[in-house]
Amino acid sequence: MIRRTHPALSAWAWLVYAFLYLPIVVLVVFSFNDSRFGATWAGFTTKWYGVLFARADVREALAHTLEIALLSTLVSTVLGTLVGLGLWRYTLRFRTALTGLLVLPIVVPDVVMGVSLLMFYSFVRQGLERAGWTFDNGFWTVLLAHVTFQISYVALTVRSRLAGYGPELEEAARDLGASGWESFRRVILPLAMPGVLAGALLAFTLSLDDFVVTYFTSGSGFSTLPVLIYTNVKRGVTPDINALSALLVLVTVVAIVAANALLRPRRDA
Amino acid sequence: MRRAALLAGAGLLLLTGCYRVQKPAQAQPGAAGQAVARGDGKTLRVFIWSEYIDPDLVKAFEKEYGVRVVLDTFESNEAMLAKLQGGGAQYDLAVPSNYVVQTMVRAGLLQPLDKSQIPNLKNIAPGFLNADYDPGNVYSVPYQYAATGLAYNRARYVPRDTWAEIFGPDDRRSFVLLDDPREVIGAALKYLGFSANTTRVEELRAARDLLRRVVAKKGFQGFDGGPGTRNKLLARTVDLGQIYVGDLLIATEEDENVQVLLPRQGTTISMDTLVVLKRSPNPALAHRFIDFILDAENGAQLSNYTYYATPNAAARPYLDDFLKDIPALNPPAAWLTDSRLDFIGELPGGRPQRLYDRIWTELKSR
Repeated sequence: MIRRTHPALSAWAWLVYAFLYLPIVVLVVFSFNDSRFGATWAGFTTKWYGVLFARADVREALAHTLEIALLSTLVSTVLGTLVGLGLWRYTLRFRTALTGLLVLPIVVPDVVMGVSLLMFYSFVRQGLERAGWTFDNGFWTVLLAHVTFQISYVALTVRSRLAGYGPELEEAARDLGASGWESFRRVILPLAMPGVLAGALLAFTLSLDDFVVTYFTSGSGFSTLPVLIYTNVKRGVTPDINALSALLVLVTVVAIVAANALLRPRRDA
Repeated sequence: MRRAALLAGAGLLLLTGCYRVQKPAQAQPGAAGQAVARGDGKTLRVFIWSEYIDPDLVKAFEKEYGVRVVLDTFESNEAMLAKLQGGGAQYDLAVPSNYVVQTMVRAGLLQPLDKSQIPNLKNIAPGFLNADYDPGNVYSVPYQYAATGLAYNRARYVPRDTWAEIFGPDDRRSFVLLDDPREVIGAALKYLGFSANTTRVEELRAARDLLRRVVAKKGFQGFDGGPGTRNKLLARTVDLGQIYVGDLLIATEEDENVQVLLPRQGTTISMDTLVVLKRSPNPALAHRFIDFILDAENGAQLSNYTYYATPNAAARPYLDDFLKDIPALNPPAAWLTDSRLDFIGELPGGRPQRLYDRIWTELKSR
């Protein structure tokens, strides 16, 4: 039985969508505004995109953002999947505690996470300096920080994906002659795959967006796009940053559409 | 086989990890807890507000001394402080506002300046030296400053030069206040004839009562930072806005009707300063940079780019005519001495701090 949605309800839904997406539309429109300030429309121009690509700091930050996002997603997806599988497969003595520990990076405020990582790194550095070694916060510290919070998201999506299945799946596979590795590769992993991909996608976007943790764990001379954009807020966002944001929106939309297309055929009936 | 691949992978990770962890050229064991200076003398790392220095000036410094300058930006004094206190990054120089200088000194973040390396310090106008936030300029030199003024669009409305335009009984004008407790409470205090740094309970009560009435006015359009207010003035949707002079002037390029004035009762002023960090890897280069900035022509180039005011007396002749003609950017020197301009100072902790906080919380949650 299909019931038509009440027109008032769908009108309400459209309003909600407008509320959510109109600011983004405005931002994209104003990236073509021939005025230095977003207040008034002064004619159409694409010059801000030119200004944007001429900026070395933007190009560098973009490269950093992508490097960190791709690499940290890779690492955290592998580790997070293993954690998620382990939590599903084995009855561990400290399972509740371990799950709690996994949820922690998700519920802890970013600032707490950022500052505690910062202090951890300087603690480590002091130890190293005493041994005559030094390092600067930068690529590796940011990468590690991102992996730290991403693992939780991946592990939890993988675990919840598998939550409905019991250990008999693997037993059945073994009965049919599969080795441990084969049952993992041909039975468990394909089942978990939508969770793995969703987790990876989540991890990737989280890494792309992250400002607070990155700000605190990056050293001098290493910034990502969110850090670059956010620190511009003080004196007003310039239109080339609008242009940059518009491009980021474009990339995100393309990634989500692509991920959807990838995920759909894999979804089991 | 797989195990070998795994091991190789781990080995690779370790190797690349070590690539960034380098042994310093001259490893000094140093006393425990002592920072190991390990600058190469070729890279200067500066922690600064965004859009706050002319890129050409940076290039000129790089060329003159054959060095590289790395600029990192922060969005608030508090965020900068948090990062430096965490010891995360090795900066040589930072650009804090005057009211955080003492906090940084107490936190052991700064090193005393070697003034013999900063001969251009003589260029700074006397009124800006030896201020309360750093007596004797032991740790800081003035970089640029902004008074807080009243901004308006003269195509819409021309105000008188008094805070009464906002704080008076008249309720016809629409206005925006800065989203900053010390600026808003400070302006109310100046209107009432008190110091913007007062710790007297009765003066603060008077300011509170005044502000309660002000935010209840029909014309009150909320609290905003400089950029938001600037856009509202350009769009002519408000009559008046409390704003840092520098944040407003940059909009005159777009619409010359946008103006700013300093109320005659006086106002608050905040100075951004240059400080050398205690753990600076290249203190000598940092001093050289400070001296470079304090040069007359360089100081003017800075203001010609940022539209903020220069404390550099020798730089005045080199300022763009446009900037020279704006009184709000160059308040009379007498204003500094007759306490019409108050540097926003650090509050003693305890009761005064709590009073300011309480007034602000009440205003914001009205």
